[in-house]
Amino acid sequence: MTTIDPIHVQVLAGVLFSLGLAVVVARRNIFLILMGVELMLNSVNLSFVGFSRTFPGDASLTGHLVPLFTIAIAAAEACIGLAMVICITRGKDTVDADAFSEMKE
Amino acid sequence: MLEQYNVFLANAYFALFALVAVGSAIGLLTSRHPLNGALFLVGVMLSMAGVYSLQASPFLGVLQILVYAGAIMMLVVFVIMVLNQAKDHIIPRPDGFAFTLLGLPLAVGIALVWLFTVKAPVKGDDHALRASVERIAPVLFDTTTAGPGYYLLFELIGVLLLVAVVAAVLLAKRSLDTDSDEEPSTAGDGHDHH
Repeated sequence: MTTIDPIHVQVLAGVLFSLGLAVVVARRNIFLILMGVELMLNSVNLSFVGFSRTFPGDASLTGHLVPLFTIAIAAAEACIGLAMVICITRGKDTVDADAFSEMKE
Repeated sequence: MLEQYNVFLANAYFALFALVAVGSAIGLLTSRHPLNGALFLVGVMLSMAGVYSLQASPFLGVLQILVYAGAIMMLVVFVIMVLNQAKDHIIPRPDGFAFTLLGLPLAVGIALVWLFTVKAPVKGDDHALRASVERIAPVLFDTTTAGPGYYLLFELIGVLLLVAVVAAVLLAKRSLDTDSDEEPSTAGDGHDHH
């Protein structure tokens, strides 16, 4: 028995993805950019789970498996990303992404 | 009668979770301090865990709360607090450009509704299985029936996490070292300090 229309789940995932993209594009604080990336990763997971409900039988389990791996990757990404933030902000005393432009010239 | 009631209840809960998730995401976009943004993101994660549970995936819902709302966001909040003395931490509200970007989700939503109702309609399948732990575990670990693909991936993810943790410790340790005392061995490799 399907209760929730898969379209609604996909629309929610798409809206959350574009909000995460807006955070990445519009905000200049390093932490907010990282959190926008996390939000985008999350919404893709939601899309996987939503689409898995449109398959019959064992095929419907695959869409629930992929997010397990995505969550592990996201944990590694947050770990490395925050270490890099600590690395580049030491001695700079700023968290504005526009301040890190040494590779420009 | 009971079934109709259940369908209504599931949709009501979905609407509630979706509202909280989108509202929190807008809060993240317009927050003034990254700490506020982190708390808004925790709100998104928690309501998303509710949506996972409604989508017959209780295990993913629990994992979402444990790993995302628990571990990852704790790490983010911790690092924000460690670096809290940066002078430009309190940032002005986003400008007009950011608010015009709020139209982007609306456009994406309308485009998806059009895509999935007119161009390529999707329908839920009545025989989709509930992804309980008993059903997921054989697909992941029983290599005789499901093949070694997912199991290999699982092992690789373990190695990746180990490498990531070691790399993060090395990265953060070096920058903390050079902050306190200048060692000639770590002075010239990669990171900037002045």
